[in-house]
Amino acid sequence: MNPTSINSTELLPSSSKVTPSGVTNETFIKVINFDFFYGKKQTLFNINFAIPSKHVTSFIGPSGSGKSTLLRNFNRMNELLPGVRHEGDITIEGRSIFDASIEIIALRRRIGMVFQKSNPFPRSIYENVVFPLRIMGCHKRAHLNETVERSLRSVALWDEVKDRLGENALGLSGGQMQRLCIARAIAGQPDILLMDEPCSALDPIATAKIEELIVELKKEFTIIIVTHSMQQASRVSDLTAFFNFGKLIEFDHTNRIFTAPIEKQTEDYITGRFG
Amino acid sequence: MAYSRSHILTPFTEKLDQIHSSIMTIGELARANFKNAICGLFERNDDYCNNAIANDEEIDLLEMQIDREGLYIMSRFQPVASDLRYVISSMKIGANIERIGDQVVSIARRSRKINEHPEVPELHELDKVIKLAMKMFDDALRAYTEENETLALHIKTQDKQLDRLNKELNERLILRMQDDSSKIPIYFNLIFISRCLERIGDHAANIAEDVVFAVSAEDIRHLGS
Ligand SMILES: Nc1ncnc2c1ncn2[C@@H]1O[C@H](COP(=O)(O)OP(=O)(O)OP(=O)(O)O)[C@@H](O)[C@H]1O
Ligand SMILES: [Mg+2]
Repeated sequence: MNPTSINSTELLPSSSKVTPSGVTNETFIKVINFDFFYGKKQTLFNINFAIPSKHVTSFIGPSGSGKSTLLRNFNRMNELLPGVRHEGDITIEGRSIFDASIEIIALRRRIGMVFQKSNPFPRSIYENVVFPLRIMGCHKRAHLNETVERSLRSVALWDEVKDRLGENALGLSGGQMQRLCIARAIAGQPDILLMDEPCSALDPIATAKIEELIVELKKEFTIIIVTHSMQQASRVSDLTAFFNFGKLIEFDHTNRIFTAPIEKQTEDYITGRFG
Repeated sequence: MAYSRSHILTPFTEKLDQIHSSIMTIGELARANFKNAICGLFERNDDYCNNAIANDEEIDLLEMQIDREGLYIMSRFQPVASDLRYVISSMKIGANIERIGDQVVSIARRSRKINEHPEVPELHELDKVIKLAMKMFDDALRAYTEENETLALHIKTQDKQLDRLNKELNERLILRMQDDSSKIPIYFNLIFISRCLERIGDHAANIAEDVVFAVSAEDIRHLGS
């Protein structure tokens, strides 16, 4: 699996599935010889790849292949579970996220996360959006107001809710709640956005709106999205990584993956032939 | 990568099988028509020619059916990777076979014209051109069924040979015209038929390119010589 030319500015490990050819942006996130264990059970096996900034990368693969596990490592969310450990490294802008000098709070602040089931707090729409600022200790009204409007506008929710910002967020529709959660995820102005099956509970219109949003947001954020919809991966992502049994099988331009993948496992999975 | 149409989703497999079988049908029909037109010419029998002309309507209908089947698969199953390439190639191959059908109709029409005149020995000047064009078309259909990339690539090389045979035949018949102007209409029709055969070779080469694309994702069109 050697892409024809590697334009990455850095040398990549020799065992790497590396950066797809033609990706010229500097490596932003890099996963190096990464293994992950839940207790004794190894879930990720020697993962190597590099993600450029301001691109959308999708993670696809069968259930249990380790997509969410890897995603939760980028903001070190997995550490909240007992008995987990990892080997290898993940770097953001060349700096290990596991470095002792890294403040985990600061790391999580630069990474927004959106989950499969939207999980707004049972508070007002307004309070949901400003939550990341509140935990950062910001209480300046003007700044909060400005953040609410900016974030809700970026997720195209402003016009729908601007007259009822004080209402309980749980009164929104599923699609609106999901956009609200994205607004909350970006309110603290992170530079990475992780999304784990963000559209799985949404209808086609709400899904289309989220997808349009993802394409819009990649101007500012580096986005990683886990999705079970092959169409969604092919519509919104620039790069696609296919995982199977905890291994990264193939990582390439989305277009390449969906027209002529190199690995038979990838081909069988995306065409629906997996036995 | 050997292509298996077997999907977890049965209706998807069925539709892929269906478009495959439609290509086989249109291919067989065009092949039979081709043979009929040539028989009509060599056996000086207009019935064969007329048969080839009449059957072309079936070919047109089949081409449209193949497009409908392809469209159905695209809209219902959103094929990707080898399936996507297979469907696109099948639709293009259907169109190329239909164009071969049109060339066969022209051959049949010209043959009827030639049959109005007494037989000329120059008829057999066509032998090599016919043989090669038929072989290329047969090979193209076989390459499709067998997903045989090597055979498909070989067809491309034969295309140049066919062009040369056609050109040589043109030159010979044009010289002959100057010797015996009474046979100009016959020679003219023979030249025309040879040109149709050369076009059939071009379509066979297109089919070969589509087979290569379906099998290996390589676009070998316009690679030069
Ligand atoms: N908290 C946990 N404790 C123990 N094992 C876990 C835990 N979370 C996940 N696993 C195991 O790790 C493996 C990978 O799971 P993960 O959730 O990362 O898969 P996934 O690719 O996201 O699957 P899905 O598509 O179903 O969400 C599975 O075998 C799963 O059972
Ligand atoms: Mg998951």
